[in-house]
Order: sequence, then C-alpha cells, then structure tokens
Amino acid sequence: MPQRSLTRAVPIVVVSTLALGVSLLAGQNSQAPAQKNPLEGDAAAIKAGMGIFRARCADCHGVDARGVRGPDISRVWAEGRTDGGLYQTLRTGVPNTEMPSVGARTSDVEVWQILAYLRTLAAPAPADPPRGNAENGERVFRANCASCHRVNGRGGRLGPDLSRVGAARARDAIVARIVGAAEGSRPGYEPVTVTPADGQPIHGVKKNEDLFSVQIMDLRERIQGYEKDKMKTVEDDKKSAMPVFGPDRLSQSDLDDVVRYLEGLRGFDPTVKQ
Amino acid sequence: MRSTIVRIMRIAGLAAVVGAAVVAAQQAPPALVSEQELLDGLKADGSRWLTFGGDYANQRHSPLTSITPANVNRLVPQWTFQTGTLGNFETTPLLRDNVLYVTGPQNVAWAIDARTGRQIWRYRRELPPNLTACCGLVNRGFGVLGDKLFMTTLDAHLLALDMKTGAIAWDVTLEDYTRGYASTLAPLVVKGKVIVGVAGGEFGIRGFLDAYDAQTGKRAWRFHTIPGPGEPGHNTWSGDSWERGGAGLWVTGAYDPELNLLYYGTGNPGPDYHSDSREGDNLYSCSLVAIDADTGKIRWHYQFTPHDVHDWDATEVPVLADLAINGQPRKVVMFANRNGFYYTLDRTNGKLILAKPFVVTTWARQIDSDGRPHLEPNQMPDEKGEITCPDITGGTNFWPPTYDPSSHLFFVNAREVCAMFYAWKPEYKEGERFTGGAAQRVTGSNQKAIGALRAIDPVTGERRWQFEYLSPSTAGLLSTASGLIFSGDADGNLLALDSRSGTLLWRYQMGATMHGTSPITYMLDGRQHVLVPAGTTLTAWAIPAP
Repeated sequence: MPQRSLTRAVPIVVVSTLALGVSLLAGQNSQAPAQKNPLEGDAAAIKAGMGIFRARCADCHGVDARGVRGPDISRVWAEGRTDGGLYQTLRTGVPNTEMPSVGARTSDVEVWQILAYLRTLAAPAPADPPRGNAENGERVFRANCASCHRVNGRGGRLGPDLSRVGAARARDAIVARIVGAAEGSRPGYEPVTVTPADGQPIHGVKKNEDLFSVQIMDLRERIQGYEKDKMKTVEDDKKSAMPVFGPDRLSQSDLDDVVRYLEGLRGFDPTVKQ
Repeated sequence: MRSTIVRIMRIAGLAAVVGAAVVAAQQAPPALVSEQELLDGLKADGSRWLTFGGDYANQRHSPLTSITPANVNRLVPQWTFQTGTLGNFETTPLLRDNVLYVTGPQNVAWAIDARTGRQIWRYRRELPPNLTACCGLVNRGFGVLGDKLFMTTLDAHLLALDMKTGAIAWDVTLEDYTRGYASTLAPLVVKGKVIVGVAGGEFGIRGFLDAYDAQTGKRAWRFHTIPGPGEPGHNTWSGDSWERGGAGLWVTGAYDPELNLLYYGTGNPGPDYHSDSREGDNLYSCSLVAIDADTGKIRWHYQFTPHDVHDWDATEVPVLADLAINGQPRKVVMFANRNGFYYTLDRTNGKLILAKPFVVTTWARQIDSDGRPHLEPNQMPDEKGEITCPDITGGTNFWPPTYDPSSHLFFVNAREVCAMFYAWKPEYKEGERFTGGAAQRVTGSNQKAIGALRAIDPVTGERRWQFEYLSPSTAGLLSTASGLIFSGDADGNLLALDSRSGTLLWRYQMGATMHGTSPITYMLDGRQHVLVPAGTTLTAWAIPAP
C-alpha cells in the first residue's frame, strides 16, 4: 500500500528527533504525569493557579468553581476523580464538547498550579438529597422539549443535543435556561429569519454566517445556505428559539422533575455491541 | 450588495411564531436518502452525487452538458474551502439538496453550503496517538442512506453521523487498531447495508470486507480476504502465514444490482517483498473478488498478481459496463492494475476477456489465456536489489479512472516509473510494520519517470490517445457527457481536456496536487459546478451567470 514509502523514511526520523529534543528541553507534555499533584498545598502555586483559573476556567465554571455555563467542578474529588485523571482532562479537553485542552503551550507546572488552586475550592459531596423525580421528568421532557432537543439519538435537532447536559451544565444554568432567565443563544442556535425575494419567510437557527451568506437549519430541520443578495431580508431574531417555560406552563414540581432528569444525562454511548 | 441586506432585530421571538402554519409554509426538506437514489446514480438534473464513484458502476461519468469543450475556459472559482488540518484530501465529496458532505484528513468531516463554501457543521474524531495507518492520515469519503452518513476511521471504526448535525448516531469497532488495522475507504451502501474494509497490509493484518446494518450498526456478515483453515484457497499460503497475510481493502468497490454482486480489489500479501514465508498464490491477495451482497459469500475471484512481491495492491477502482465484444453483449468489469496491465473481465464469472500492458512492464511478458501472468526471469527482489517496472506505486493506483459509455473509452492516469526492489527477512511483531524490504525509484539519464492520461479501448486494450505529463500524476478523473475530462498533474495544475482527442482545453494552478482525489460535478441554482479537492482546499468552479 505505501504510496509514499520512498520519501517517508527520512522525514519521520527527523520529526521524531525534533520532538524528542523539544520534550527534553522543555520537560513538558510528558507521557506519564505524576498521579498525585506535586504542588498541592504549595502557597505560591495556589496563588499562581488562581490567576490562571480565573483567566481561563472561570468564564464557564465560575470563580467559585460551582458552575455557570459549564458544570460544577468543586466536587470533582468528592466524586472520585484523581489528580492524574484531572491532569489528563485538562491536557486533552473533553472531546466533542466545549471543554478545550489547555493547549501545548501550557506547561505541566501550570496545569498542577490550576489543580492546586481548584483543590482549595473543593467542596464535600452534597448532603441534601437531590430534588425531583427523573421518571416524571422524562415524561415532561418528551412532551415539551423533545421536538427540538435530542437525547441519546431521539428527538429534534433544532436545539442543542442534551444527551450529556447533566455533565456539561450546572443545575442553576439549566433552570435559568428553562424559565427564560438566561439571555442569548449559543453559536449554532441563534434564531434567524430569512425571507427570499419571492417567497415566504423561513425561520430557523443559524449554523454559520458571513457578509454575503447565511447557513441555517429551518424549523423542518432542512440545512441549507442562502445568499443574502438573493434574499429580501435576513433578520436576526431577538429572542431565543427556546420558549420560556414560566410557572404558567410548568409547575415547580414538573420543573424539579425535568431538571432532575436532565442532571442525570451524562452522555450518549453510540457504541454498537456486536 | 450590502445595501440589499436588511437586518431588523425582531421583537417577536421565534418561539412565538413556531406554529404549524409557519412550519407548513416552509419548503419541505427532501425525503431521506433512499436506496432507489443510490441505484439511480447520477441523474440528468445534476441534483446529487451520493456514492464514491457517482454510481454503483464507478463510471464517474456525469450526464451534465452545460460545461463544454467550447466554454470550459470560462470557468471561474466560486469559493474555496480550507480544512485547517494537517494532511491532505483524498476524498470524494457527496452532494444532496445543495449541501456538500466531505471527509478530510485526521478524520475531520464537514457539511458545507454548496452555494458559498461555508461550513454548516464539523465533526472531528478524537484519534489515539499511536495509529498504524501506513500512508497518511487520510479518508476517501462518506457513504449515505436515510438521514445518516457513514465514515470509516483511522482507528478502524465505522461511524454513522447524523446528516443534519454531524452528531454520532452509532460507532462500531471493525478491529483493534493497535494490531495494525485502520480504515480509510468510503463506505458503499447497498440494500440497507454499509460495506467497508480494512487497511493494514504493511502491518500483518488479515484483511476482510464487512457489511453493517445502516440503521443499527449491527454486523450482517464478514468476508475474510484470506481463507481460513478448511476453506478453498487456504492452501495457497504456506504454514501460518495466512494469519498475518495482509490483503487489505482500502478502496471502494462497485456493485451490480442485477447480479447482486459486490466487486472489490484486494491489497498486497504480507510481508510485501520477502515472500519465503508465504509460498503459494496467496489468495485472495492482489485479486478482484465478487461477493454476494446479501450473504458475504464469494462467488468468484480473479487474481491479477499471484504471489505478489512488489506491493502491487489490486486496490484500484473497478469500473462496470456493458460492452459488445465480438458482436456479443458482455457484462464486464474494467480494471487498470498497479502491476501495469489493463484487464477486461466478464463480471458474471470472473473470466478474462483481455489483458494488455498500459505501461512498460518487465515482470510479465503477457497474461496467458488461462488468466495467469507469463512471468519473466530475474524479477524477484532480494538483498542485492532487482530492477522492475512498474515501480512500487505502480502503473496506476487508487486514484479513480472514468469510463465514457458513449465513446466506449476507459480513462486512467498512468505512470511510467521503474524501481529497484530489495527484500530481506522480517520479524513479525504485532502492530508493527511487516514488509521485509523496500523499493527505490531508479534514476539516471535513461530512466525518466513520466506520467500520462491514457484513453484505453476496453474491447481491444489499445490506447486511443494520451496526454503526457512532466511527471507521474496521482490525480483521479471526472468525465462528462459533453466530452470533457477533468484531471490534475503532479505539479498542482487542474486540467480540462477534450475526451475525444486528449487536447488540453483549460488549466488552473491550484497550488496543491489532487492526490487521489477526483472532481465531482452537479447543478446548483441552474448552473453546472465542478468541485475540486486538492491539498487542504476544496474549490467550486462554474461559468458566471449571464
């Protein structure tokens, strides 16, 4: 099979030598990080870690690590995660989520500093029993949400897939989104209306846009691009495509139930067992 | 243009207008991709390209005629898409409902607005670091059925992606990638099954062709390209060499719905060059196999290169057609092989109709009437080295040819290169390279490596015309009913030629070669487009609207 075997051998040797040189020089990105944070409790490291955490993590996880858009990470040790495992999560990110890798330019020392600081925010496992009935929550979800949201391969595609929302969002963030207390829509789900020169308005969510065109998923889930100069109007809709589920539409107990159900969604396993 | 863009921040939310009436007013999305559409192949309306070869016959011959030899020089780029990844395209994009579905290097994939080249969604597989793919982290395209796209991965999985979002619908493991398995070919979807194979002929694998249920990902059957104990052909491998004999499948095959047969070309036997450990013909390596699409059982095989020692995988693209031969209508499969011979076979039974060299070949004088090559002496690689033509990359390779059913011509990018082949005894270690040799391009004043686009008459094997390149091209082809061929040279030029004469009509320097990629063509908003993957770019071409 090798189409390029004639030319490949030499470059491979060069590249691997270079890579070896870099890792020896910088002492970074080693394959086997310590399983225990070598900087835990180190005052200077905690202070440095606070700076990095606030600059790079707090937007999603909150300055107190209790979660904003991203999940509550103040209980990761209480939930059984290890220093080594958390180090890997920071290094690789969480695939196919918004959680990025810290990047190759972040040194091992900086990763341990972040974790040393996070440790000072660590909270014990919650003592209060969680509220709500997930079984009824699923029924509420199917009736009110599933036409736009997918869970484990079932449901609509207009809104974000919620198969792992329990791992990705803090409880408060989920509640705020449902009751209409959260502003804006994340990229890929911003509401838009496109009106062709000779046709009816097309409502949908925006997948991409530049000066001259917009790519949308419409309410019938057709993905399609439109050139703006061929449209009568292209209008950003102000309100989220997500309806507000205030007390008039969702009782407090149904809200508790559906949130309980959503909190339990930790990811879809698409693996086919043969 | 901007003045026409009106942006009004609406006060009423979308939620308020999400009503049945509004939804009904919008154009219904097209029905899910059906098996009939796959059977129909390329249609005169140019609205789709849904399989690797355009149709099950792999002809890559478009019925579109808006772009002609007379106006092809008026093509202008409409947009360029950049992958933003390392590595290059080897893909055939799919098109449906004005959206392109494209796989790229590193198992990244996209849905792209065909009007503007703008991304709609992007999928990226998290790949393990120790991949064994021999020849670049490439992928050759999607298959599609229903609302799902199918893609093979470098860590030997098959994925189903949601066509609208790129989300994974299911994920099935073909084999353990740490043992040398990988997968790079575009899946072929036949009768609700997704047909895929594995690469790894340089890593001591045992190749197979698999079929998976398109809905659920459950495996329907597996055909091993190397027969196991007790199966016919098993005795063509000495000792236990069959267990790691290679014969991968890394190029998409063809399908004949009437005969219900799949046609796939198989890879080289392993170790590639040092063959003492694998005495015998080494079935079904370097062969074309005809497989029952329902059961996975082999109907017939034709071995192009018995006991190959030059790494001449038969993983070229088989092309099906119906030809009149000696006044008799014949169902044939056409095959330009890496070993330097062009073959026309009867696809009902695998019998040889004709075989003729299409490049200089020094290893065999001819293919005898029994279908076996008549070998020349002194063509076995050893530690001292032996010069053989063609070289390791071959007379041609995995880049797709085309067939024009109106002129009855088969077009292929051919290479005239020879190599010094070496062989030495390798040690087998699971998951590691297992080739037992190497090859080196022969240089010297009388050893000029050239390439050419060649038009071959599949009835006689004669060359009708050729267009010579400065150096060997690795580009795939596209032909059209208006008498055009699109190709690329090894220096980054996109070329359009007259398919009747081989005359060059138009060229454009792309800045990267179309390595293993073919252009596709389709209609978009009333204009014919040609889409060209080259390097890390995808560029759409059309003649400006009047």
